Amino acid sequence: MKKNHTAPFLLSGMAMFAVALLSVVSTPAVEAAGDPIVVIVNAANPVDNLSMSELKKLFLSDRSKWDTGRVVAPVIVSAGAPERTAFLKLVCGMNDAQFSKHFLQAAFNGKSATAPKEVSSVRGVKGVVVSSPGAIGFVKALDFHGDGSDGGVKSVKIDGVAAADAGYKLKM
Amino acid sequence: MRKALPFHPTHFYSFALYLTLALSSSAQRASLPVDQATINQQLLDRIQKLEKEVQAMKTQPQSTVATPPAPDPEPAPIVESPAVNEVAPRLKLNFFGDVGYQSGHYYGPTSAFEIGSFDVFASARLSQRVSVLGELLFTPGEDNNISLDIERLLIKYRHDDYFAASLGRIHTDIGYYNTAFNRGDYFQTAIGRPTMFEFDDQGGFLPLQDLGIVLEGKIPSGKLGLNYVFEVTNGRAYGANVEPAQNSTDGNNSKAVNVNISAKPDWAQGLDVGFSVRHDYLSDVNHLQVSETIPVLYVVYNTSNYEWLNEAMLVRHATPVGPVFHTSGFYTQFSRGFGPYRPYFRYSYVNAPENDPIYGNATEEPELGRINGPTVGIRYDFTEHSAFKLQYDREGMDGEKSINGASAQFAFTF
Repeated sequence: MKKNHTAPFLLSGMAMFAVALLSVVSTPAVEAAGDPIVVIVNAANPVDNLSMSELKKLFLSDRSKWDTGRVVAPVIVSAGAPERTAFLKLVCGMNDAQFSKHFLQAAFNGKSATAPKEVSSVRGVKGVVVSSPGAIGFVKALDFHGDGSDGGVKSVKIDGVAAADAGYKLKM
Repeated sequence: MRKALPFHPTHFYSFALYLTLALSSSAQRASLPVDQATINQQLLDRIQKLEKEVQAMKTQPQSTVATPPAPDPEPAPIVESPAVNEVAPRLKLNFFGDVGYQSGHYYGPTSAFEIGSFDVFASARLSQRVSVLGELLFTPGEDNNISLDIERLLIKYRHDDYFAASLGRIHTDIGYYNTAFNRGDYFQTAIGRPTMFEFDDQGGFLPLQDLGIVLEGKIPSGKLGLNYVFEVTNGRAYGANVEPAQNSTDGNNSKAVNVNISAKPDWAQGLDVGFSVRHDYLSDVNHLQVSETIPVLYVVYNTSNYEWLNEAMLVRHATPVGPVFHTSGFYTQFSRGFGPYRPYFRYSYVNAPENDPIYGNATEEPELGRINGPTVGIRYDFTEHSAFKLQYDREGMDGEKSINGASAQFAFTF
């Protein structure tokens, strides 16, 4: 029987992993500055606050239902919109190609992941959120008035911070 | 300078009314004398009639008059389907393939152009909770013949995030790599799999394809993000030149059981830590029940920029009367994305005893003993659905000189 050479390799490998993981995880997040991106849900949705990790799960189909039991229905504006590019980078850590590949790979691996509905305009995003109680989307702050004129949609805080407040993380 | 008065249709209608009244009045005066009260009444009737006509004309659409266009009504939202190959209302179809060139003794005595595999993948949602998945694989063998294999075929019921059940031919959830990449060379960073995860129908050490039931889902655990997979399957066949997965018959009544528990904590996005343990009884050539236990531990960090995969296994084969044999193995793979470019490094190691009762069947001519070596390469995603990979491998084996190989691959999906 051959001599087992595994142990030293395993120890050195794990040590390398630990050092590198610390350096990678401790890398500061990209500071966002610019126009806020407002996350919107149906006005009937009791959710008022979401963490960044929850937001990522909702848009990557890693969480399929709200606490109320309603099916999560994310909606996203078509590729090329600046708010989409910024949102994918800040929330999912992806670009458009990686976002597309994520759902292709999830389907290939037999996961029940469903890509967000894509619409061509901000009106489309709002329209889907208004018409679907489980929908969630995002728009630029300029496209969300918050004075009741948006009709049937409401904004949610991210990590306890509203889009208009200092320290809001979702900015283009 | 005088400002020109803007033309308005009501001016035209008023002028027409005035002209009509004037002409009518003149005509009346030129006619035979009649009672003045009657004439006045006729004129009043006429005025009222004309006023009604003018009013009616005002309310008609002014299509020929240049007026500022009214704002369009808000259009209904246009919902577009995501970019998937939907060939029927329910059916989605994708193809995966790879072609390339390889050179060096790592791959064989001669260099060659090659096709890796052609993968036909179909999935369909039969209802909100029931879906099916099928995967056909065309692969060339060493004799240059191309074989067809039903790689996966299963039906799945998904109750919610916490419970799903599948039945069919699966890729076993041993460790991380097998179900993270399956047969998709396009998805995996490097050319080929780590040595410990080479498919069992291509000389690998682990039972990576099987038939049975899979239960899986999340474990309510808050920010710890625990997940479970529980499999009960036929187990793998033992013997020379046989299909490892027992597709329709089982060599014995004992079923393989595999459990995989993993954690994806919210506080460390991209981190995936877990272990799996599988147990099965295999009937060897002498019909002895060999107990097979396969624990695998993995620590993975995977983000869009960084990929660090680490897995270690220890396969234990125990005969009812005789010694216990251990096959150890691990790999570590690191890659970093720079836009479309992704350089990578991998080190693989497997050490299987030559007299192992399962791997040691001389008729199968397996490569046993220590197999280890590095792999370096670069991947270039030149389109969203295709990648070019260039790779160098070096492999050392017990009692033999190390061998080298270089390979290039185009991997794609459409």
